Amino acid sequence: MKNLRTALSLAAILAIAGTGAALADGPAIGANAPSFQLTTIDGKPFSLADAEKSNKAVVLMFIATKCPYSNAYNDRMRQMAADYSKKGILFVGINSNNTEPEAEVKDHAQKNKWDFTVVKDPGNKVADLYDAKRTPEVFVVGPDGKLLYHGRIDENYEEPAKVTSPDLKNALDQILSGQSVAKTETKAFGCTIKRA
Amino acid sequence: MSSSVTAAPEASKLAGEVDPKGYAAAVAKARGRVVLVNFWATWCVPCREEYPDLTRLEKAYRGKGLAVLGISIDSAKDLAAVDKFLAKMQPGFPNYRKASGGDDQIFIESVDKDWGGELPFTVLYARDGRKAKVLSGKQSYATFEAAVQELLK
Repeated sequence: MKNLRTALSLAAILAIAGTGAALADGPAIGANAPSFQLTTIDGKPFSLADAEKSNKAVVLMFIATKCPYSNAYNDRMRQMAADYSKKGILFVGINSNNTEPEAEVKDHAQKNKWDFTVVKDPGNKVADLYDAKRTPEVFVVGPDGKLLYHGRIDENYEEPAKVTSPDLKNALDQILSGQSVAKTETKAFGCTIKRA
Repeated sequence: MSSSVTAAPEASKLAGEVDPKGYAAAVAKARGRVVLVNFWATWCVPCREEYPDLTRLEKAYRGKGLAVLGISIDSAKDLAAVDKFLAKMQPGFPNYRKASGGDDQIFIESVDKDWGGELPFTVLYARDGRKAKVLSGKQSYATFEAAVQELLK
């Protein structure tokens, strides 16, 4: 009974904390994606809530400048962001690594010709809100603010031409065609997010 | 492939490749000891940083009931880098490479269903083979040692 009371108290504390605290677990599929505001590497404000209102979906990608797994996807990220922006989906790169300063993130984005939104996440607050663990790691948020997909871009980081499971692309195509996402959670290897 | 999970003369080279089944077999082979499995890659800087602590820990606790296994996530094209790394580290424990092919998600979830795939990652098994603890990200020697000591009690 005591354990039950403790559990209920903890649940109440977590409920009160809402999205303002770093929860132990990130949002579940179908739950509200935590709101946040950050500044882009171009110095512009970015608000997830605003982005949700003006897009059919928002793709949050936890990225890195030095992680080989993340860097293997640089071209795919640029291409997908370009392809899907035409269809009303916004791509946002989030760098939460405390070992990678904003100037380095900006330089990395320029070198890779990324023209999608990139934000620095000081103190890895957004990574904590989502319980993001690695780079690259993707969260797709629908226009109603619900989390629709969480996981990898695809299953083959080494050879883009040999991808057999383009999981992010499949999820986005299903969202655009009004279907439910068939495969909502996927996993891949990646680098640990270097937290402060 | 080496069948040993303790210090082996060829421990500075890969002991072989493991798929989910091979991984389970390698862990099962060490049952009766506390088993610490560390997943690493040569391209993973924090993995390389914590590895010397694992070699030190294994040497200190080898005679007290600890078995350490290393699992490299490097791809086949990085085999030369793996060999070079192991030759430099001179671990006293066997290291395997995750076999190429197949969906990594299946491998990841076979190890731990809550593992997101981030590296480094460490799993500790109790003497009875029960999974006792997982450690995500780079750890200190003290953290590894405390986790091992707790299970050796």
